[in-house]
Amino acid sequence: MAEIPDQVRPRLPGGFRPPPFGIQQFLALMIVCVALWALGVIWLGMQAAQQWVGGWQNDIRIHVYLDPEHKAKERSLREALSTVDGVDSVRKITPQEAAAWMQQWLGGTGLDRAELARRLPISFELTLDTDAGEFLFADIRDEAARFSARVNEEEVQLAQAHHWLGQISYLVWFATLVLALAMALIISNTLRMTILARADEVHLMRLLGAREWFVRMPFIMEGMLLGGGAGLLAWLLVWPLIMGAAEWLASLQVDLNGLLLLPPLLLGGAVVGCLGAVIATARIESPDSPD
Amino acid sequence: MLDCSCLFVSSMRVPDDTGQTAGYCTPMNQTSPQIQMQQVMLRYATGKTALSGITLDIPQGQFVYLTGESGAGKSSLLRMLYGGIRPTSGLLMVQQLDMRETRETKIRELRRRIGIIFQDHKLLFSRTVFENVALPLRVQGWETERLIPRVRKVLEYVGLEDRLWSYPEALSGGEQQRVAIARAMTANPPIILADEPTGNLDVGTARRVLDYLMGLNRQGTTVIMATHDLHLLESHPGRLVQLHAGALVADSHG
Repeated sequence: MAEIPDQVRPRLPGGFRPPPFGIQQFLALMIVCVALWALGVIWLGMQAAQQWVGGWQNDIRIHVYLDPEHKAKERSLREALSTVDGVDSVRKITPQEAAAWMQQWLGGTGLDRAELARRLPISFELTLDTDAGEFLFADIRDEAARFSARVNEEEVQLAQAHHWLGQISYLVWFATLVLALAMALIISNTLRMTILARADEVHLMRLLGAREWFVRMPFIMEGMLLGGGAGLLAWLLVWPLIMGAAEWLASLQVDLNGLLLLPPLLLGGAVVGCLGAVIATARIESPDSPD
Repeated sequence: MLDCSCLFVSSMRVPDDTGQTAGYCTPMNQTSPQIQMQQVMLRYATGKTALSGITLDIPQGQFVYLTGESGAGKSSLLRMLYGGIRPTSGLLMVQQLDMRETRETKIRELRRRIGIIFQDHKLLFSRTVFENVALPLRVQGWETERLIPRVRKVLEYVGLEDRLWSYPEALSGGEQQRVAIARAMTANPPIILADEPTGNLDVGTARRVLDYLMGLNRQGTTVIMATHDLHLLESHPGRLVQLHAGALVADSHG
């Protein structure tokens, strides 16, 4: 059996053995880690915002209130609201239903439900089309005002927030793609330097008949390890942020799931690293390669 | 791996610790030459004609000296033999492969069956002697544990068994050349191409290097060696192929 002295660690090149980790690789790891961390935070923010907007995502409803002294306008208001473009349906909430909801919302206090129902305004629940127009809420407000009714403005704000979240998510995807490309180029540049430093080795391996995948695989492995490692590090660094903001988020009824970020950061990092390695190894020129 | 149908079986074809033997056996017809050239011409992209009208057959097991003045085309001919450049015209067959037409992957396969000793050694100075010598088998997928006894055996042959874990920069020029020879023979190739392996060595060291190559040749390896040192032919006779300005001017058996 062959013996290897204690202080000797043979490092044969090629195949599935990535080149040794140096200062350039460390710098690339840090830069990619910061970029992935920023992306992780952005997507966490999206997750929080979507939770805050909550059920509005799939079932957008707005409430319109009419004081009991204007009860005579109830039918006209309902008809007017039904004609607003973008309103799918209008439902009158019964006083008992409204009182029960209010009692539950107040924490089950000992208020008399009948008395509560008598004092609450007449409520209409508007279900909106998902492709509601830009002026929908202004139209609802106008119709409500015409009959001395008022709109639940907090619900309007949430519905508008949902609309804006949809727009922002496009921007976030765009930023993700741009940052992914930038990370791939950073890793590619680092690998180019490694390849240049190892040009003699690559050339010699080719002269000795190494298959092309055998020559390129160490660099692909290094790219994937750099990206994956940066992803793991970025995921770990997201946790202090989640824990620091936990109390504030809880007050907004937002419960972030940091574990959900691990697969995209880890796999995304590895894919970006692999892409960078493919870019870096696309053209490794060696003399004595006739093709 | 070698089997009993191999053209040459030698004491140097040592089994590794798994009982297997490194190296290749090319199933060749005894009568067909290992290297065949017919009217081979090589013209570089710059327009310079490096070789013209070379017709030459080299059978298995020959020791061929390739001589000629600087720029005669010796190195170009050797590069063509391992597929570093393709002939512009003519026929060049190496181990039954048409070097003009064959694909890059086939050329890589061929290179695994050829040992090359470069004029500038091409040793990796950031790697140990072991790592340098093991490289031809490493590119064939051998793992470190299996490589160590094989490399040790080859280094024993060139008298460097105690330098397994040294770095090339700690070796003399002659020792570096022996490491290059050890690397060329690690995979037991049936052909060894040597580009001026004695060029920068003193006479004594050059003779010793040639002894190693002669030893390999006696075991059946075809050796083609480009050299200026014609005095070596006195002590180490072989076939002499002389080039002049890219043309074959003499071909004599020593």
